[in-house]
Amino acid sequence: MTAEDSGLNREPDDSFAIQTFDLHKQFGDLVAVDNVNLDIKKGELLAFLGPNGAGKTTTISMLCCLLKPTSGTARIMGYDINKEPYRVKEVIGVSPQDTTLSEHLNSRENLHLVSHLHQIEPKKLKTWSQLMLEKMGLADRAKDQVRRFSGGMKRRLSIAMALIHDPDIIFLDEPTLGLDPQARRAVWDYIARLKGEKTILLTTHYMEEADFLADRIGIIDEGKIVALGTAIDLKTDMIDTHTMVIHAWNITQKMIIEMRHRYDKVEISNGTITISDKKVDFKEIVDRLHDANVTIRSAYIKEPTLEDVFLNITGKELRE
Amino acid sequence: MRFWQLFVRSLKETCRDVIALGFVLAFPLIFMLVLGAAFGDTSPSYTIGVIDNDNSQVSQGFIDEVLPAVPTFEIETLDDPDAALEALRQGDLRAYMVLPEGFGQQVSQVLQGADGNIELDITYDESDLQVSGQIVSTIDTVTRTFAGIDIPITINANPINIETEITNIDFIGPGIIIFGLLIMIPTSGRLMLRDKESRFLHRMLTTPARPWEFIASYSLSMVFIAVAQIVIFILLGRMFGMDIIGSVWLAFAVFLLTAICSIGIGMVVASLSKSENQGESLSWLFSMPLAILSGVWFSSEFMPSYIRTFADIFPFSHAVEAARTVITRGAGFEAISGDFFFLCGWAAVVFVIGTILFSRTMRS
Repeated sequence: MTAEDSGLNREPDDSFAIQTFDLHKQFGDLVAVDNVNLDIKKGELLAFLGPNGAGKTTTISMLCCLLKPTSGTARIMGYDINKEPYRVKEVIGVSPQDTTLSEHLNSRENLHLVSHLHQIEPKKLKTWSQLMLEKMGLADRAKDQVRRFSGGMKRRLSIAMALIHDPDIIFLDEPTLGLDPQARRAVWDYIARLKGEKTILLTTHYMEEADFLADRIGIIDEGKIVALGTAIDLKTDMIDTHTMVIHAWNITQKMIIEMRHRYDKVEISNGTITISDKKVDFKEIVDRLHDANVTIRSAYIKEPTLEDVFLNITGKELRE
Repeated sequence: MRFWQLFVRSLKETCRDVIALGFVLAFPLIFMLVLGAAFGDTSPSYTIGVIDNDNSQVSQGFIDEVLPAVPTFEIETLDDPDAALEALRQGDLRAYMVLPEGFGQQVSQVLQGADGNIELDITYDESDLQVSGQIVSTIDTVTRTFAGIDIPITINANPINIETEITNIDFIGPGIIIFGLLIMIPTSGRLMLRDKESRFLHRMLTTPARPWEFIASYSLSMVFIAVAQIVIFILLGRMFGMDIIGSVWLAFAVFLLTAICSIGIGMVVASLSKSENQGESLSWLFSMPLAILSGVWFSSEFMPSYIRTFADIFPFSHAVEAARTVITRGAGFEAISGDFFFLCGWAAVVFVIGTILFSRTMRS
């Protein structure tokens, strides 16, 4: 599966929350975003997965009207980012990659600032901000200046600031970057609760994050969306090699040679045999090993990961 | 109003950052204390030669009564210009002036409302920048005050004509205050540059707030700080003996306009800069030469005309002139209206430019 059709062949469609049309950004000779065409449905959570410098943040910056595209355009809830930037800004909420907060304000004041800029009614504001602080576990620190907060608390407040005005679309740029596993899990749980209610475009270079949260994943590399689909689609469509891992005793050289004749790739290390081929028959391999008096401790078919998908498509490790 | 919320936030950020606020407010305090202590009490003595070619009652009164009333002047009457020049070269005189023939008549005519000007020849060592600047300014002020009375000259007839309180601090005070406000150029853009560097501003730019609202909110919070600075400056100036002969409110208005111009320039610099370091370096590079050229420290009268013309493009030479006119000469609004409106125009233009640059640079 690849990115959407060329922008030239697509008509604006208001049933989509986000549509990009040959969206392109160039800094001098460097192409940061290369004619991206993308449709994101209302209520969908799409994750951009890619290494640092792939063009994820630049794409989001253009969609948030922070950067002007070199060419092409995008529509956010029907508003053109080049022609109606302030209408676009009314319907979006953004949590940037850096947890940028007003450090000498407290968490409630930070929330109120964003709300006022979106002209939320004072009555709603009071209720929403309290609710948001409670949801994010910050209610007991509401009056503390945020410069005294931990990284995890700042990140949660940053996400709350993206949500406080109840936007239609939320951009979350690396929402768990730099968080410890526990804090990351808490943020994931919160984002997961928003699924279906809000359209979310999330960027990450954590494949587990994309796998756990996203309805669809766009793999982005060197400014291009090189693959787009659900995690399962990507793993099944993009990976044509299957891998079986066997932990065993009494492995003989003869057995290994025989396996290498039958399968594309056979590796052995510390009593673990890894067999990869386009077709891997679990039962047949187990039977052969039994017949050769190999004692099997455990055996399983290894599920492909998004890392494998990325490697397969780009020839690079995701964390490079 | 979005602008108001951004302003409240800027003010809170500024006031809660104790170190930054301390720097901004302590600066004028320290500055005025040091310079006030240095120039406030001490009254250096300058020996000034006077050659009276008029020999009228008016010129005699001017020499015998008005000039000696300046505490920093010791007046020596001379007859021969060559002898005066030699005394200047020897260092016995710091300057000498010639009252031309018809001086008394000129003064009388001016006092009666006739057009014209009073001409004085003043000779001094051009390399003696500070002293010569002060002497020229002092003589200028004394002569203007002298000619400003409403009745024909009879010395001591009107207390206004004898300015007894002209001291160093009277002359350098307005300059110090203008300098203090001029250096708001580097300090005023600091919060915006910090927000830029931390990318908080980028976050705010994803909201529907307009560029002018950002510029206005950052600026207004600094105007509050500027008001506090001006009050500190004026109070300390008074403490060190600076007399405000004209209206305090008019002087305050001139200072406030100067501060607004500085803040506006600071906003332009901050809009163009990418980091706090870059912005501050650029601001200092710009503001220090401008301070010197604007006559903050030395009278600009000794400078070549093209430099004065260049300095006059900027608001600060006008601010210095207007402030000195109000503070030391007691002039009213009419006398400084040209400079006043020039400052107003500058403030308006610089904010429009700042807003345009801000909106252009923030979405490149």
